[in-house]
This record gives sequence, structure tokens and C-alpha cells, in this order.
Amino acid sequence: MAELTYREAVAAGIAQEMARDPNVVFLGEDVAAAGGVFKATVGLLEQFGPRRVRDTPISEQAILGAAMGAAMTGLRPIAEIMFSDFLAVCWDIVANEIAKTRYMTAGQVTLPLVIRTANGGGSRFGAQHSQSVENWAMAVPGLKVVAPSNPADVKGLLAAAIRDDDPVVFFEHKSLYAVKGEVPDGEHIERLGTAKVLRDGRDVTVLALAAMVPKALAAAERLAAEHRIEATVIDVRSLVPLDTETILREVVKTGRVATVEENPRLCGWGAEIASIVAEECFWDLDAPIVRITTPHVPLPSADNLEDATVPTVERIVATLRQAID
Amino acid sequence: MPIDIVMPQLGETVKEGTITVWRKKIGDRVKADEPLFDVSTDKVETEIPAPADGVLAEILVAEGATVPVGARLAVIASDGRAGATSATPATFSPVSAPTAAAPAIPMPPRAASGPRDRRRRSISPVVRRLAATHGLDLAAIAGTGRDGRIKRDDVRAHLARGAALECSVIPFNRLRRLTAQHMVRSKATSPHVLQAVEAEFHRVDAARRAHQAAWQAREGFELTFLPFIAKAVCTAIAAFPRVNAVIEGENLVVFGRIHLAIAVDLGHEGLVAPVIRDAGSRSVAALARAIRDVAVRARASRLGPDDLAGGTYTISNSGVFGTMITAPIINQPQVAILSTDGICKRPVVVEGPEGDSIAIRPVGVLAQCFDHRAIDGAYSAAFLRTLKDRIETTDWTASID
Amino acid sequence: MSPRTKTKATSGRNDDIGEATRLGLWRQCLEVRHLEKRAYDLFLQNLIKGTSHLSLGQEAVAAGFGVAMRKDDWSFCTYRGHAHTLVRGASMTGVLGELMGRECGLLGGKGGSMHLTSVEHGAMGSYAIIGAHLPIAIGAAWSAQYRGTDQVAVCFFGDGTTNIGAFHEALNMATVWTLPVVFVCENNLYMEYTPIGEVTAVEHPAADRAGAYGLPGIIVDGNDPDAVFRAAREALAKARAGEGPSLIEAKTYRHSGHSRADPGKYRPDEEVKAWLARDPIPMYRKRLLDFGVKEAVLDAIDAETRAAVDAATEAAKASPEPALAVIERDVWADGGASWRN
Repeated sequence: MAELTYREAVAAGIAQEMARDPNVVFLGEDVAAAGGVFKATVGLLEQFGPRRVRDTPISEQAILGAAMGAAMTGLRPIAEIMFSDFLAVCWDIVANEIAKTRYMTAGQVTLPLVIRTANGGGSRFGAQHSQSVENWAMAVPGLKVVAPSNPADVKGLLAAAIRDDDPVVFFEHKSLYAVKGEVPDGEHIERLGTAKVLRDGRDVTVLALAAMVPKALAAAERLAAEHRIEATVIDVRSLVPLDTETILREVVKTGRVATVEENPRLCGWGAEIASIVAEECFWDLDAPIVRITTPHVPLPSADNLEDATVPTVERIVATLRQAID
Repeated sequence: MPIDIVMPQLGETVKEGTITVWRKKIGDRVKADEPLFDVSTDKVETEIPAPADGVLAEILVAEGATVPVGARLAVIASDGRAGATSATPATFSPVSAPTAAAPAIPMPPRAASGPRDRRRRSISPVVRRLAATHGLDLAAIAGTGRDGRIKRDDVRAHLARGAALECSVIPFNRLRRLTAQHMVRSKATSPHVLQAVEAEFHRVDAARRAHQAAWQAREGFELTFLPFIAKAVCTAIAAFPRVNAVIEGENLVVFGRIHLAIAVDLGHEGLVAPVIRDAGSRSVAALARAIRDVAVRARASRLGPDDLAGGTYTISNSGVFGTMITAPIINQPQVAILSTDGICKRPVVVEGPEGDSIAIRPVGVLAQCFDHRAIDGAYSAAFLRTLKDRIETTDWTASID
Repeated sequence: MSPRTKTKATSGRNDDIGEATRLGLWRQCLEVRHLEKRAYDLFLQNLIKGTSHLSLGQEAVAAGFGVAMRKDDWSFCTYRGHAHTLVRGASMTGVLGELMGRECGLLGGKGGSMHLTSVEHGAMGSYAIIGAHLPIAIGAAWSAQYRGTDQVAVCFFGDGTTNIGAFHEALNMATVWTLPVVFVCENNLYMEYTPIGEVTAVEHPAADRAGAYGLPGIIVDGNDPDAVFRAAREALAKARAGEGPSLIEAKTYRHSGHSRADPGKYRPDEEVKAWLARDPIPMYRKRLLDFGVKEAVLDAIDAETRAAVDAATEAAKASPEPALAVIERDVWADGGASWRN
């Protein structure tokens, strides 16, 4: 085990896969010489050279289009979209082209590519550089959607995404880049489509993603210490495919479920899970399903405003206390 | 807003009531819930409180008068101004009024579905399902959630108290717990091997028939198969003593004397295995009496600690229920246990000097579980063959004493 | 204004093209013409649903490149893509079947007219969102460059595409990365209903922008198969030699409206008449006759292609509708559509 930061785990995951497969290439804005604006790809240019690690112009459509064209002709590209907000400028390539081409061509085209992007708030960047947009991707058939919460999962899930034969949108969380964690030595690969139970409790099942995972865990510890409420905490990790097996099993155990989502309220990932839970384990529910989300507003930038807008540990604790009763 | 006071419905069948006394005079201030007047019906005599604060503005029915339910009796004005003309009748709940002494409270009914009421009625899906599955009346379950909401755990607790019709929870008593622990420990400790032989009991049966009447008359209880089997076990153990042993560490401690434990069912409420000391030196009759004695005392809860300690071999008898074979669990730290099962008449082939013939004989299975750490299958099998031989060949009629 | 080369058709049967190649161009022009006409007839019979964008009048562009490209090159085209798919070698039955929503369609009925694809023939897809496939084509070119093959990606698009961002992003990156890609603008003068000249800052929407990306502005007569073929041959050679992308603007004209829904009434009669007089098929037939090709040879090819279209029509009509099971097939590489466990 080595201790890596979340950002180092990104580079480690890419390096692991580039070293084992010469068809893996990497492109994006400022990713090569500069090592990424979040310094998540430092060292890759030095290790793999400018043929495989390429800086691009500020051309998101060209970046993702190139990734798609390369993927359909035999490469396994990783493309970086610097901020997930910028997916909006190339959403045609993502939603209309990458997601649909395999289906529309009845399987003639295979698109083994990864779109890495820095997602989420907490950095005082304001509403255009802080969004949690994983639900955009989740809404489009043909995209796999992953959002890791810790360095080990970053490396393992990124490796899995690169090896996967389908397009994967890989949401890294900006506010987690500096977080350290143990990462297994040697080759490390996780399985896409698997949620992880991080904490076992009997009173309520809390589902969280990315930066909301550490908050949910902190809230669970406080609930246990201060209110004798024991929460199960699940890191959903992968929205598509969705590990409903684990989620539903854990919801049935406690009879209560809450989602902690950074996305604005409407159509967040938790809404889909809530509907699945309501359809499939309604008769095991002991309380209404609870969604803890960012309110349906763009994210403000001032310290106190941003902190109070995304779900906080206090809000999670207070909401869960209510929900338990 | 002036409030009309009307004759309450004090019970479903009550149609009228008599004002026995007004506790207030016209012009008096009244407070909500303060006694206002007394009513007498054919069922109850009760005091009726004021429904609201105000001033008693009018009395419309004098003391001693009998009026039908619903008749206007008085008017309470909010601030002393008489409002006889535009009074709002105070409604009485016709169904909730108890027929006993408790009075109907003349209060305007609350809005039918305030948030608190809604919550009290909120039955979660899992609670509904559990209630349906177990046929529960939710009204009988106390809710511990907010505003009395019934939670899943409340239903589980209710079920655990054995209140459900279709499912009852029986907490383990001490004996059950000990039995449970012992059985688990035994299975975990000893590799059990089951072996069984079929034995013919015609000679035992003959002895029982020969002695039964006299025995019954003398001893006051029936002479069963069990003491014969116990005796045969003792003689077989003499030939194969290693089944009469305990394991201590990596030693097999083989006993010279046989302290025979007999499993006794306590009317389906538990199991004990009192010990008959030095069974090997006892006759069939003595064994019969000893078995009878410990069984009676066990069922009367009169066994002492000494009665339960020190067994070296155990017999478990399910035969009275007609079982065919039972794989018993070894009574630790012993190394073997015998189950005697049902004995019933079967056609068997009998070899005689004139050749084979078919005879009707009582036949039963003797099944022994042994601890394979202690002995091996051949040893156990040889023991069982000897036991079978003893049962089949001993002239029991001549040797019960 | 960027420098400009105009490629003119040269005459003479023993020139750089040669008769065999010309007969190939003739055959492809006719295949496209007869297939597109048949597609139009099938609309009228209500056997083809949805929308369709025909290349009637624009056959020379498809044929010129179709003949010039190597089998392992890749083409990327737009929703007006029947012609470009066909010239790569995709079967007529597959094309018509897809238009008719039949099992025998190239995409098994899952794509329709606007998404014809035949990867086995290097027809890497018809893209129905304007501009999207230019970046995708550079990705394929990048892949060829990276793997050291000398394959070339050719990307066809309309004049309207030159005003969308992806056009500029792709041209810039293709030049910066020196990618083996040929961009072919089929300028048929109308984006959809609006004349391209009314909404574009320059006269030649593609060629006049080439200079911005360090490329020569190439304009070619898109109704002349020879001219297109020569331009294609040159651009493909340049790309294969590792000298980077080309941008070719082929002036042409569609004989019908933008799509099935459009009778094309917004175009002045004189303009239509003038372009019909420059119909590539009779023009090319005349040239071939001038060059001494026997009429019987040309007519035989004509008859063959008509017969092939007839046969394909019958085959497509006879093909069943797709099985409903395909609805949940091929979202993922594992062949399925499952998004949960």
C-alpha cells in the first residue's frame, strides 16, 4: 500500500494502463506539458512522450470528436474535459455521437474511450466551474458513468474504465484532488458497476457519491456518537451501470434510505434511485425516501454561500435524524 | 363568537337527559373544561365541562328539565355580550362518547387532518406489510416514532412480545440456552459418526409379557423395553469398554464402572440426562426402578446437581413415539450415545435346523453416534453387534432380577 | 483572402485518368443516380418513412472520391450520405433496406436514412448533427497517424457546416497535428432553405476559410467526376505522404429539395434550369462519348446499375421487419442494454 493523493491516483491509473496497452492515448487541454490544471496528470508526458500524451487547443468538440474517431479505429483514448461544466460545449459529441453510434450502427462501431472531467463544487469557482453534472451523463443511454470518492477507487475505476469497451464518463471531484488515501501497490483494477458498503448500520441506509461520501461518513459517525443512530453508508461509485443489487439489499435491511447528492435537486441521480427503491422495495420501507441535495439553484461562489448550498455534515445529520423518527 | 351548549349524547342509545344542576349562573365567567352543569340519563350521572372560555350568557333549560339529545341548553358568549341570535352550536361527538362515567367533552371537533393526525395515521409500507402478514391490529401497537408513528422496530418488538396470532416468539429459558450451547459445542467438538443395527426383541418381549402383570401390581408402573436395553448395553460395554469413556485433552479416559445417563424429555419443555450410578452392577429390575425414579424426579424438577453429573454413556429413547432411527448428539465429554427407537412387529427370516422360516418378531433399530476422535467404526460396530446379540440371545425372562 | 487553386477538367482519353477509371466513375455516378431515384419513388409509395436527403445532382462528388479512395481509407459523411456509403461498396440492398426499415438494412433498421454506416467498407458513418463528424474524422486520422498506417480519413459535409464551431475546431487541430484527413465541402448553395451566401461572411464558405488554417483554398467543379477525382487523388496523396490535411470545396447543386419535406420552391427557376443543364450524368456521358467510349458500353453499365437497383428493391421489400428483440441490443459492447444488475 502506498499513500497517494486523489490527483496522484489519476496519473497512476492512466500510467498503469498506458504502460500495459500501447493503444491507450491521452489528450486534452494543458494535460501534457503543464500536467493538467489540477496537476492530476503530472509526469505522463515525461513517461510516455508527446505521441501518446497530447496537448490540444481549447476545442472541446475537437477533443472528444478526436477521441471518438480514434476509438472507432482501434485506439483506447482518454480525453480530458478540464471542467465538467465544459461538457456543455461538446455535449453533441458526448450525447449524440459517442453515446448513440454503437446502437445506431447495430454494433458495427465500438467506442472504448474515457472522458475524464473535474466535477463538483467547493472551490469558490462560481456557477460555471463548480457544477455536479453526473446526472447529465446518466440521462443518456450509451454512456457509463463513474464518480470515485477516494484515491484507491480513482486508480482502480479509472483502469477499469480504460479497459472497458464502452464509453465511460469519469467524474473526478475537484475538492477531493488533495485527499490522501491508501492505494494498493502493483496493478490495481476495480469493477465498474459496483457500489461499496463503507459502513454498516441498522437504522438508515445512506447513499452518497464522490465528495458526498466523506461527508456522509462523517455524518454517520456523529449520528452514532450523538444520537445513537447507526447508518449504513454506501459509496454508489458507478451510476451506470448501477449496482441496484447492493443498494436494494442494504435499503431493505434498514427500511430507510437517504441519498446525499451534490447535484441540484431536480433529476439528480438520487431521484432515479429513489424511484427504483419505491418501485422495488416499497413494502420494505419504514419511512419516506429522503433526498439531501443542493437546492435547485446555480452554485454561488462566496465561501459561506457555497458551503451552505451543497449538503453539509450538519444538514445530513439533521435531515437523517428527522427521517429516522 | 357565541357558542350554543346542547344536550350531549352520553352513549349511543341515550336519547334524552335531565339537567340536575347548573354550576354557573347567567353572567358568570366560565373557563374551558370547568364544570358547567350536571346531566343525569338512564345510564350515567355526569358533569359536563364548558367547551370554551367566556361568559354564560343564557340558560335555556332549567334544572330538573329533561330534554332530547341535541337540545340547546345555554349560550356562552366570548366577552360577556349575549349572542343568543347568532350562536354556533357546539357539536358533540355522538360516537366517541363513552357510555361509562367519562363525559363527552363539548369541544368543537378538530380539523380532521391536521399534520399531527396525518402523521399518526401514517403507516409505513413495511409496517403495513408486517401487519398484513402477521394479522396484527395496528391500533394495539404503541408507536415510538415522532408523534407516535409506528415504526418497523415497533412491530418487531410487538411480535417479540408474542402478541401476534400467527407467530409467537419464545425466548430461550436457561435450560434451553444451556441445551443449545451444549448441542452446538458437541457438534463442533466431536466428529459424529452414526451406526445402527436392527435387533429382534422377541426374548425381551417374552420377558415383559411374563412379568408385566406382577410387576405392574408390585411396582405400580409398566415394565418397558428400556431397562432391558440398558442392561444389554452394560454387558456389551464390558466387552467394549472404550465407548464408556470421556476425552480429556489427548487422552481417552476409559471407565471401569458404567454411569448411565438417560435422556428424559420434560414434557416437550426441555431435556435432561440424569445419571444412574454404577448401572453395570444393576439388574434389569433395578435399572427399571432407577430409570423410573430419575424420570419422575426430572419431571418434578427434583433432580440435584449430583443426579446430572458424571455420566459415562448415554441412552436416548425416542421409541415411545415410534421413530425409526435417530442420530443423537453426543453428551459431552462422553464419546458415544445410543438411541433406541420404535420397536414394532415385522416378519423376519428365522434360520432353524429344518431350514428358514418366517416369524413375526418385534424389531427395533439401535443407533449409536460415536466420536471418531476416540474410536473407529469397526470398534463401534463390534460393540453394536454384541449389543444386538445380547438383546436377541439372553434369556431375559429368567434374568430380570 | 486565401490563395486559391481551381482544378479544371482536362480532356483527352489517354490523360492521367484513363478509360477504366472513367468507366468506374460513370458506374458510380449511375449507381447513385438510380438508387436515389428509387429512394424517391419508394417515398411516394410510402415504403420509406422518416426523412431522407438525396444526392441527386451531387453524384460526381461521391463518385470522384469513391473511386480515388483506397479500400482501407475511411469516409465520414452527413445525413445526406446514401451516395457516400454506396460508393464505398456497401450493398444497395443494405442501403434501401435501411431506408425502408427492414432487417436487411445496413443497420438492421436501427439507424435509418441519416446514419448509414458500413464499417467493413470503411464507411464510418453518416452523422446527422451538423459539424460533429469533422472532429470525429480527425480522430480517425490521428489513429492512422499514431499507428503508422497510411490510411486517410475523408470527411464530407455541406456548405452550412462551415459556419459551425466544430468545423473550425477540427480544421485547426487537423492542421496543428498534421493529420491525414481530407475535408470535402459539398457546396450546393443552400444550407437548408437559406442561400449560404446570405448567411456567410465570405463568398466561398469553405475555400475562403482555408487560409485561416494555413491551407490552400481549393475549389473544384463538383459536377465533374474527373475534376473531383483529380482533387481527391491529390489530397489523398498529400495526406498519405504525411503532409497533413486538405480542404476542398466542390461546387454542386441538388436537384431536389433539402429533404423529403422540401420541394425546393425557394430556388429561382433560372438557377435550377442552369444547374439542370449541368447535370453531371449527361455531361459525363457526353465527355465519355467524345473520348470515344462506345455508347453500348455506357448503356450496358446503365442497364446493369438499373437492374441492380431493381433487384435490391425487391430484396429489400422481401426482407422482414427487424425483430423487436434488437431494441435492447447493442447499447454496450457486450451486445446488451442493461444499465443495472
